[in-house]
Amino acid sequence: MSSFRRVFTSSVGTKLLIGLTGLALFAYLILHLAGNLLIFFGQETFNEYSHKLISNPLVVPVEIGLLLIFLLHVYKAIINWMGNQAARPVRYEKTEWAGHKSRKSVSSVTMIWTGLMTLLFVVVHLKQFRFGAWYEIGSPPIRDLYRTETELFTAPAWVAVYVLCVILVGFHLRHGISSAFQSIGADHPVYTKRLVVWGTAFAILIGGGFAIIPIWVYLTR
Amino acid sequence: MTLDSRTPGGPLPGKWDRHRFESKLVNPANRRKFTVIIVGTGLAGASAASSLGELGYNVKSFCIHDSPRRAHSIAAQGGINAAKNYQNDGDSIQRLFHDTVKGGDYRSREANVYRLAQLSVNIIDQCVAQGVPFAREYGGLLDNRSFGGAQVSRTFYARGQTGQQLLLGAYQSMMRQVEKRSVSLFANREMLDLVVVSGQARGIICRNLITGEIERHAGHAVLLCTGGYGTAYYLSTNAVNSNVTAAWRAHKRGAFFANPCYTQIHPTCIPVSGTHQSKLTLMSESLRNDGRVWVPKKNGDKRPPQQIPEEDRDYYLERRYPSFGNLVPRDVASRNAKVVCDEGRGVGESGLAVYLDFGDAIKRLGEDVIRTRYGNLFDMYRKITDEDPYRSPMRIYPAIHYTMGGLWVDYNLMSTIAGLHVLGEANFSDHGANRLGASALMQGLADGYFVIPYTLANYLGGTAFPVVTTDHDAFRDASDTVQGRIDKLLNARGKETPRQLHRRLGQLLWDYVGMARNDAGLGKALAEISKLRDEFWQNVSVPGPANNLNKNLEYAGRVADYLEFAEVLTVDALHRTESCGGHFREESQTPDGEALRDDANFSYVAAWEFKGVTAKPELHKEPLDFEYVKPSQRSYK
Amino acid sequence: MRITLKVWRQSGPAKAGTLVEYAADNVSADMSFLEMLDLVNEGLIARGEDPIAFDSDCREGICGACGFLIDGLPHGPVRGSTVCQLHMRSFSDGDTLVLEPWRAKAFPLVKDLVVDRSAFDRIIQAGGYTSINVGGARDANSILIGKDTVEQAMDSAACIACGACVAACKNASAALFTAAKITHLSLLPQGQVERYTRVVRMVDRHDDEGFGSCSNEGECEAVCPKEIPITNIARMNREYLKATLMRGR
Repeated sequence: MSSFRRVFTSSVGTKLLIGLTGLALFAYLILHLAGNLLIFFGQETFNEYSHKLISNPLVVPVEIGLLLIFLLHVYKAIINWMGNQAARPVRYEKTEWAGHKSRKSVSSVTMIWTGLMTLLFVVVHLKQFRFGAWYEIGSPPIRDLYRTETELFTAPAWVAVYVLCVILVGFHLRHGISSAFQSIGADHPVYTKRLVVWGTAFAILIGGGFAIIPIWVYLTR
Repeated sequence: MTLDSRTPGGPLPGKWDRHRFESKLVNPANRRKFTVIIVGTGLAGASAASSLGELGYNVKSFCIHDSPRRAHSIAAQGGINAAKNYQNDGDSIQRLFHDTVKGGDYRSREANVYRLAQLSVNIIDQCVAQGVPFAREYGGLLDNRSFGGAQVSRTFYARGQTGQQLLLGAYQSMMRQVEKRSVSLFANREMLDLVVVSGQARGIICRNLITGEIERHAGHAVLLCTGGYGTAYYLSTNAVNSNVTAAWRAHKRGAFFANPCYTQIHPTCIPVSGTHQSKLTLMSESLRNDGRVWVPKKNGDKRPPQQIPEEDRDYYLERRYPSFGNLVPRDVASRNAKVVCDEGRGVGESGLAVYLDFGDAIKRLGEDVIRTRYGNLFDMYRKITDEDPYRSPMRIYPAIHYTMGGLWVDYNLMSTIAGLHVLGEANFSDHGANRLGASALMQGLADGYFVIPYTLANYLGGTAFPVVTTDHDAFRDASDTVQGRIDKLLNARGKETPRQLHRRLGQLLWDYVGMARNDAGLGKALAEISKLRDEFWQNVSVPGPANNLNKNLEYAGRVADYLEFAEVLTVDALHRTESCGGHFREESQTPDGEALRDDANFSYVAAWEFKGVTAKPELHKEPLDFEYVKPSQRSYK
Repeated sequence: MRITLKVWRQSGPAKAGTLVEYAADNVSADMSFLEMLDLVNEGLIARGEDPIAFDSDCREGICGACGFLIDGLPHGPVRGSTVCQLHMRSFSDGDTLVLEPWRAKAFPLVKDLVVDRSAFDRIIQAGGYTSINVGGARDANSILIGKDTVEQAMDSAACIACGACVAACKNASAALFTAAKITHLSLLPQGQVERYTRVVRMVDRHDDEGFGSCSNEGECEAVCPKEIPITNIARMNREYLKATLMRGR
């Protein structure tokens, strides 16, 4: 077996790929959040930032790269989940969480579901923003993303959907971050233990950070 | 029949070299033409399978467990001896040899023991190369601890799990050969008969424990590595599946059983707590390095141990044996525990226990040092007894632990049936009447890694083998015998469970053929055993199917064999009117209560020939000559 | 003490199974869990019924033969313990306990609480050793190994292959078992020669046997009777990464 195929198909390789792509997506989310938070600085700043971003010639290749990473993450995660379901064809009559040092949590047992919800959300989200209503402002005219966003979040239903979805993303990250480091082989005697704590902190930060925007927009418009 | 030990001539240190040179060899290309059946996958069996597999023989390995790694060698705790003299404290092959012969109370074969001491050195090298994580010192060198019966530190250890690590080393080597297809693994198989064709062991009959199928396996030689018979006593430190069946059925086919009365009673076990108990748990002998054994001076002193002041305590081992103190050999330590308990000074609810106290050691070294040395043993003690040995002393009592007796073998480890070799605890060879701590692992691995590859080649290379397949009449007969016995068990349909009957047998043996034996008791035991055997066959209940996993059926078969075997055990104990090692005969003791050997009359190996279940076995003697270690009254004072 | 047991009874791999209720009376707190089961079986045998099949051998927590779920927890509620070392004092009078076998595709059921764990042997067979033949070893003290290193290796080597890790894992993964052996050997100088071939061969075999992938939850560590930590799995992952991506195995 070639080493590429081995990494792509084996249990450890699969987790390795899910972990690496997951970490890349995590890094992207940090940047994305940082950009989005500029909305607090007003329409002008936010639009300027968004214009700089989309007028960069590298944005399309980066977007394609990001998409591939995302799709690989989704594909490997689904295949992995199906394989894992098959590994226990007969279920237990009674199950209990072990507790103690176990990191099993609501977020860890729902990874596939929060993941799939995120997938759905990303599709909707791209449709509404990346490919959503195109308003222009100023001269020379640049995209008024601020307006697209504030229009959307005047609808309480969409605010609720977005808040719910980013909280699910937070749940996904709650297990995902530390899990990814475990998958790529981080086992430092001291730092590994902190990974779980930091992973949770980042999950709250990202989930909360994204959630606050639609709420703020809704409340201030 | 005269027993020929086939010990090579010449001076002791050169015997093994000389023998290896004089042994026949098998050409590498011819080795795969020989099928070697190995029964058991403990230290002896797994090491033999791996070394013979490496050499290119076609090996078939059988075990009763679901995996070869579960063999009971895994439970050995303390360590393995080797004459490395890494500690620069005066050890040598000569000294290990000497200690072992003396520890065995001058009832072992000198040449075997010397070979064992020589090979001990290679075992450590081999195991370290396999990746066995033996304890190390800070500088990276191997660490040693001392063990009972020796005044040097020559015991290598891996925490309290030495047996586990050595077995896993051997198991892994063996699995490497399984992957290479030189060893075929037959797990979940119980050997139920030996097939002998024209005087040669040519195969085995076994039961597939999962399907119930009776299988026939043919080969050119059979190696029994099936361990000891300690569970004859029901309660022992042995695993609950350990049994004498394979050895016993081989005995019934003509292999002599040697010195069955030499049973080792280990001094440091967790005491019996109730009738429900299925086994006893050993606390490694290494605990005696730091623990001090004592009982109250006054009879019936029921104060908690902490409230008994120093002057009211009797550190009886230190008092009676000032030079060895708490590190006297096992038989001496066990017997003394029995003596003080018989005097009424035993502790705990049952009065059948003595204290093993770490108070001084904790004061001297600190709790952390003790935790590093014995942490897992202390945890185990706490789990079982719900008491904390860091705060109050452990309670210990002797329990059946190891059996020095076993099938008789010559210097080549071959029994009285040509081609049937017996390795490890299953044979009688190296420990005489008492085994020193940390020597069992040494013997099992020496036999498997370093002895059998040479002596088996000698046999295979020098023997003519008629063609024998599993269709041979002898296979059919043996297979029918096995089937008949199983049918008989299933059809008994009585009221008593095999466990109840086993427990009764065990109690009988413990009471009359235990730590101290006498003529009247042994006679009584003989009568009772045969009654119990009759009762077994009339009243045993073995429900469940034959063609499926039926652990109760397996168990019933083993108990049935024990009920036959117990008789030769008792007969041997009765005939040996001296005290020696693990066999203490009350009629033969010194004025101060120490075991008194009778070299004039009993300096021989007693090998018993099977004459029928109800007939008295016939005694054959292999005289023991001591050229190098002159027998003296053992003294550890 | 009186305990009610609901035990998974299944007479063979192809047969249907179900939970059957048994009463265990006169249970003493000092009994081990298996001794309590012995007691139940004694009653069944005396009545001519097929006793409950379960594996056990050493009954001191080292052979790894025993193990089943008690109320959904492999080896029961006490940490760092096998069922043979679990005592009835951990339960209360009147408890009802559900006993189930390990469940995994790679551990086919044999009967009642007994499963076939030979997949573990085959994982070891794939590379869990150093490839040295008997006879050629050099002097043991010529290989220096630091005390800390050997202690760490010993922590991993302490695995008893009971299968609780697989049973507890929601993915029925044997990652902890496989990683423990890989870690033991990759820490020691003796294991360096085959370090990278070993990890890929053992992981390949692990997958071929039908075990799932690591969930990174650490349920395995929490139920492991030898308390082997999942840092072993991280090490396995790292070794695998090095072996495949950096060394092209």
